[in-house]
Amino acid sequence: MTETEELYKVDELKLLDCKKIHLTHEKSGFLTLEYEGKVYHKTDPTRLVPFFSKTTYISLSYEDEEKEFHEIGVIKNMADLEEEQYKILDSYLKYKYFMPEILKVYSIRDNMQGSIFVKSLTTAGEKTICIKDWYQNFRMLTDSYLYVNDADGNKYFCEDIHRLDKKSLSVLEMFT
Amino acid sequence: MKLILKLPPGGSEGIVYSLPFGFAGCGDECDGVFAVTEKEIKIYIDGELEEVYNISDFSEFVVRRGIGTSFIQGIAPGGEVTGFCGFTQDLFPRYGEVAKLLCHYIRTDELIKETGAEETVCPKCGLPLEGSSECVFCKSTASTMVRLLKMILPYRKSFTIAVIFTVLSQLIWVAVPFLDRLLIDKYVTPKKDSIAGILLLAVSMILLMLLEGVFEYFNMKHSFKVSLNIGKNLRETVFRKSQQLSMSSISRRTAGEMINRISNDAAKLEDFITANGKDAIVRILSVVLLTGLLISLNWRLALLTLIPIPPVLVMVKKLNDTMKVNYTRVWKYSTRHSELLHDILNGIRVVKSYGSEDRESVRYTDASERLVRANIRAETIWYLTMPFSFFMVTAGSYFVLYFGGRNVLIGSMSVGQLVQFTSYAAMLSEQLFWLIFIPRTFADASVSAGKIFEIIDERSEIMDSEDSRELDIKGEIEFQNVSFGYKPYDPVLREISCKINKGEMIGIVGHSGVGKSTMINLIMRLYDCTEGEISIDGVPLKSISQNSLRSQIGVVLQETFLFDGSVYDNIAYADPAASFEDIIRAAKAANAHDFIVKLPDGYNTRVGNKGYQLSGGERQRIAIARAILRDPKVLILDEATASLDTRTEKQIQQALDRLTKGRTTIAIAHRLSTLSSADRLFVLDKGRLAETGSHKELMSKKGVYYKLVMAQRETTKMRTAV
Repeated sequence: MTETEELYKVDELKLLDCKKIHLTHEKSGFLTLEYEGKVYHKTDPTRLVPFFSKTTYISLSYEDEEKEFHEIGVIKNMADLEEEQYKILDSYLKYKYFMPEILKVYSIRDNMQGSIFVKSLTTAGEKTICIKDWYQNFRMLTDSYLYVNDADGNKYFCEDIHRLDKKSLSVLEMFT
Repeated sequence: MKLILKLPPGGSEGIVYSLPFGFAGCGDECDGVFAVTEKEIKIYIDGELEEVYNISDFSEFVVRRGIGTSFIQGIAPGGEVTGFCGFTQDLFPRYGEVAKLLCHYIRTDELIKETGAEETVCPKCGLPLEGSSECVFCKSTASTMVRLLKMILPYRKSFTIAVIFTVLSQLIWVAVPFLDRLLIDKYVTPKKDSIAGILLLAVSMILLMLLEGVFEYFNMKHSFKVSLNIGKNLRETVFRKSQQLSMSSISRRTAGEMINRISNDAAKLEDFITANGKDAIVRILSVVLLTGLLISLNWRLALLTLIPIPPVLVMVKKLNDTMKVNYTRVWKYSTRHSELLHDILNGIRVVKSYGSEDRESVRYTDASERLVRANIRAETIWYLTMPFSFFMVTAGSYFVLYFGGRNVLIGSMSVGQLVQFTSYAAMLSEQLFWLIFIPRTFADASVSAGKIFEIIDERSEIMDSEDSRELDIKGEIEFQNVSFGYKPYDPVLREISCKINKGEMIGIVGHSGVGKSTMINLIMRLYDCTEGEISIDGVPLKSISQNSLRSQIGVVLQETFLFDGSVYDNIAYADPAASFEDIIRAAKAANAHDFIVKLPDGYNTRVGNKGYQLSGGERQRIAIARAILRDPKVLILDEATASLDTRTEKQIQQALDRLTKGRTTIAIAHRLSTLSSADRLFVLDKGRLAETGSHKELMSKKGVYYKLVMAQRETTKMRTAV
């Protein structure tokens, strides 16, 4: 093996074979992964591109006792997992990245001091979302993707604001 | 802070803390309650008791902040972790408090039911309080304003003079329409050929205008005297207070935020007092006076003028709010546009080397177009609404013209009276138009005042006690069962007990984030320990005055901060009364003299902003000279030789050896070889003091230190091989 080949070997993206993945819930709240005869405790799945892809490119990693990070590998597409495995991983990721989707925007009140109060209907129910420094925390990541980070650190999103009803869109228009 | 937010189905009996949660331990969404009694933790899911845990089965409780959710865990003495539940981020401070109180319960057997912790969010608006006891947005504007007005008291004489002269100057403006009326009714309408009378009126007007100029001069002179002095007092008070605040208070705010409060918020209040505050008083008086004059001239016409004004003003205010949002949007796009420009131009080498000029041009054009679109929109709305709202505000005048004109025609009113009336009506509209924005001006000033008063009123967490005293430190330091966390629920150091003898050199080693610098911060009393006690020469740190303590501690850090002054000023910072010879001696001992001599202006060379005109090694040697000049009893070296090349490190090590001689020294270094001269090493592991002893003793023990040394040797070997 040449030096260059060796360098690429170190940096190789290790894609996991979904058929060999076996995940189980741990008492600690993390997952245990069994893969190619090895058992990895406290496995923490991470979405590599959390805003734009929820089920592809999922990194599985763990921290050892010295708190050193180790990546086990990456799941390219969760759809290749067995149904039960998909469910376990999906529920973990939904929990880790809990981010209600905004379905309707009723009104936005501006306190004229940099904070806004967005009365909206989300997948987690009706809420008045308090946002501080709204020009930083209430922003469009693309022309259609709205990302919201409220004063407590809760996150909300709207994948495509143009799909919202007319009233919501007109309320949003002032602030996006 | 409320720790009972939602009760379990069984009711409140025996419940000490009870919080809702939205995710079970396995991560499934649910409607749950996390309830704590004196002995147990009970997990209820969808109204059913799901799990019961004995508190005594755990040695620690922790909360971990995740991305969209956070969770609480219990750790058993054997290290086994149990995840109880997950919750949204708004509940994080409450679960953090519960975890802290449960840890305290395990350690001390004392279950605190009423926590002293303050609410973290404003119950009214839901925004974070960020350490304030009252929300700056919801705080009563009146109380803040009263406090602000009290600051005028020392300058009340000047303030009163300014108000009197403003009132006089307003009265002159009220007198002008009266002269117009005389001119029209006495000379113009009757076509009376009396040059003397017209001349007299013209001279009166000129005199009045001149007088108005004199009044305005006295008004502004005294207004500025009041506002500039109040601004100066505010800035000084906030600056002094910011110097006294504890590190935890200071680290809650960025340097930019503090500068903003000291400069911008104070300037805003200064403006408010010079212009708006005083003007508000005068304009309100003008409104009363003008309304009285209008009614006395013709009450029917006065009603026609006044009635449409209130609804129109409400409408104008609404329009103004819309405009504010639009202009904020313009500001947002303008900021993004500038940021992008700044980013691209700063990284122009990268852009060119990757040949991405076209891509960046597209990005820039896009940002530029967005800014233009937002601007066009805002300006269009402005020019659509403002002429209309102005028309609405002055609508009363058109009625007056119609009905007043009719009165003139039927002879119940003179032309002069009508001109005088319309002039007063226009003046009244102008005053009201100004006053409509006063609530916003008051709110804005009130927030600035709130932010300034928040710092002034903040109680420093590190305070000298009444019996704190000066101590001539010898250098013996003792940690007794010390635990500490920057966030109380997340301890960094746990139950540290150790003794450092006078004149001893101690090296603190361990992985990154293990608490090495924290130990040093506690010795300097930048923070108070959460539990346990630190003492110097047998005297608890809290009983030594902070000034006395810190004046006898010398510090050399990895990142040296030099002030923008000369080399001389920076060394003399440690002791401004030191003689020039003392400074040279200190520089020589620090191996700094030789390079200083080579600088173009010797000791008078300016080091530039943050000392960036000097190399890292040079800055470090100046810092050591500064520490030598201080002649500290306790010396702290925090990675003092890290990030330096071998030759510079050798020079600095020599200087440090001279400095540490005979002083109690505590050194932190990642490169373990630099601690070879230490008498003893303290090895920290997971926040605990894992091992103590000399290098030799620890190596033979083959514990944590041995592993650290071996891992480092391995890395060095790899580097040498490369």
